[in-house]
Amino acid sequence: MKFDPALALHSLPDMLHGLWATIALAASVVALGLLIAIPLAVARDSRHPVLAWSAAAYVIFFRGTPAMILLFFVYFGFGQVFGARDGFLGALFSNAFLCAVIGFTLNHSSYVTEIVRGGLLAVPKGLVEAAAALGIEPRDVFLRIRLPLAIRYGLKAYQNEVILFTKATAVVSVITVVDLTAVANNIFYDTYDPFTPLLTAAAFYWVLVNLLRIGLARVDAWLNAHLKADESRGQAIAVHSTARAPAPLAPLGEPAQ
Amino acid sequence: MPLQDLLGYLAQLLGGAAITVELAFSGYACALTVGTAWALLRRLDNPVGNAAWRAYASIFMGVPSVLVIFLFYYGGSAIIGGLVGIVGLRPRVDVSPFAAGLAALTVVQGAYSAEVISGAMRNVPRGQFEAARALGIRPYQVWWYVIMPQVARLALPGLTNIWVSVLKDTTLVALAGLNEIVARSRTAAGATKEPFLFFIAAALFFIVFSAATLKFSAGIERRLDRGIARPVSAGAEA
Amino acid sequence: MTAAVPAGDAERPVAVAFRQVDKWFGHFQALTQINLDVHKGEKIVVCGPSGSGKSTLIRCINRLEKHDRGHIVVNGIEVGDSARAILDVRREVGIVFQQFNLFPHLTILENCMLAPRLALHMPREKAETLAMRYLARVHVAEQAGKYPAQLSGGQQQRVAVARALCMEPRIMLFDEPTSSLDPELIKEVLEVMEELANEGMTMICVTHEMGFARRVADRCAFMDQGQIVEIASAGRFFDAPESARLKAFLSQILH
Repeated sequence: MKFDPALALHSLPDMLHGLWATIALAASVVALGLLIAIPLAVARDSRHPVLAWSAAAYVIFFRGTPAMILLFFVYFGFGQVFGARDGFLGALFSNAFLCAVIGFTLNHSSYVTEIVRGGLLAVPKGLVEAAAALGIEPRDVFLRIRLPLAIRYGLKAYQNEVILFTKATAVVSVITVVDLTAVANNIFYDTYDPFTPLLTAAAFYWVLVNLLRIGLARVDAWLNAHLKADESRGQAIAVHSTARAPAPLAPLGEPAQ
Repeated sequence: MPLQDLLGYLAQLLGGAAITVELAFSGYACALTVGTAWALLRRLDNPVGNAAWRAYASIFMGVPSVLVIFLFYYGGSAIIGGLVGIVGLRPRVDVSPFAAGLAALTVVQGAYSAEVISGAMRNVPRGQFEAARALGIRPYQVWWYVIMPQVARLALPGLTNIWVSVLKDTTLVALAGLNEIVARSRTAAGATKEPFLFFIAAALFFIVFSAATLKFSAGIERRLDRGIARPVSAGAEA
Repeated sequence: MTAAVPAGDAERPVAVAFRQVDKWFGHFQALTQINLDVHKGEKIVVCGPSGSGKSTLIRCINRLEKHDRGHIVVNGIEVGDSARAILDVRREVGIVFQQFNLFPHLTILENCMLAPRLALHMPREKAETLAMRYLARVHVAEQAGKYPAQLSGGQQQRVAVARALCMEPRIMLFDEPTSSLDPELIKEVLEVMEELANEGMTMICVTHEMGFARRVADRCAFMDQGQIVEIASAGRFFDAPESARLKAFLSQILH
């Protein structure tokens, strides 16, 4: 059980390539996931049964399925159907990285949907009533009151999910995407030294995760600045947080009636 | 593709599911044990213990589970050899994928469990301890009859989440060669050229199993919540 | 909007009218055959035991609750399902809640400016001037840049009053505005409400503050089990209650 610094140094360029792939993958999915999750969360609690049930089915299927199966599903499944064809779909599904983005987005977005939904539910009913009673239209009540507050309530849970997801990208090598973990494995196969590459990769992930954690904590502090009490008052009114460890999973529930 | 062959492969999936469940249950049990141990250690509030926890938590919650699995699988023999070598023995132990997966799940999910259980312990009102002691109940009885039931109730949602994580993380062990349900679904999909059938079947297994877990957990929650006041829902009001 | 506009004399038009209003929550009847005319400029205090329907009554006025039978007309607008009518009513009517319900992520000033900007499409500077005027009126102008969490309960509730006033409503509803306040903070809010009353605002208040009711109310209504049991001028209400239930209630409250 030894660590070979020379090997570690030598593998740095490849590792950095792998790290870049990991970051690119994670960033794309996080962005896409958030974009999809907000309308999905609204659909989840919608009064239209079709919307509500479709959104619920989406969440149940893509949250309950392990990411690896989704990756196979997209890459081998759609890849088989569309891969050989010409055109957009063919190009899309024969590209392993894009398949990874799609597969992970399906999974990550379903978690984020539940987090956004939890955040929306956590907004005290009285605030929404006050806004409505002031004559503000429902669309503005949603955009200016419910959503900003939902973001603050759901932030801790969202941070947890982003971090968990970033770590989860490590399996992407099963569909031939060369990320940081794949690079580490390749070095192991070449050198028969498991510890150096794996520990080096672990170190990279550890740094990445902690950078994320610190960055998100800054966002949290900035968004919640309004909670800091006046020194003279000596106390702050706590915002109910939906934070739980690890990524909180709301019960697989039925959509709102 | 003859129906018989398809059914044969589906039966294979079931075999894989059995392995998945076996790994999940053992992993979860071990993780809870490790988690409880850490939670109790943290209560002692000993500087060395606290530092050890912070290092452990930072490492195992800061790196992907897959890497831990690889480390234990590829490096497991060397690790065990090294540890046991301190005593002078030089065993040749091969670590199976199942064992590596079990160890990794224990270590990683143990950290998350420790957080949930610690948090639950902290949230039991201090007054509960004090009232029980004031009544003359002995410390270990206080823990068993008064505190742990409340810890269980508070920890339940978090521990349920961890169970679902454990269940899904078993799929990672396929990367170390464990022939569990996802690995088998991939084999079947490749052999039969029916990817959707087998991947959806595997997905359904996890979905149904998770849903069953959540129902079960809700049932336990109802039992544990007996007697706990629920806020009256806003409906009829003055 | 085809409501029969309740007849009131020209100098005392009816601001809010209830005609045979019923409301249920499931099987529980919260309001039973409510008939009430609130005239422009009138101050009505509604009191009664818990669960008597007082909050439900005023929340039906601005459609925070939906009444199931009967008619409610606010300044000529029938309160119903029409989204347009609801918005119009909500611009005529301001409400102050027991829980303040200030928007925690906005400053005091932004809290007050939000509705004029969004609902009345008021330009920023105009809204700001308007908001500062009303904040000054409730004596919290110097707190304009602060967040609700940094203010005392009494200050927050006064801001809530200012926020409602910024929409320049013609009717103000108060739903137990001081019930969440520490005793020493109640007075400052009641003073603001009294000033508002003296300026001629039409007010309907649900409150337990009987001293305030005596001083400020034109009429007081006593509700019990979803019905208006007795309604009379403030003097008669307190000094010569007619119904047995009101007598019992008053003897419990005034000790």
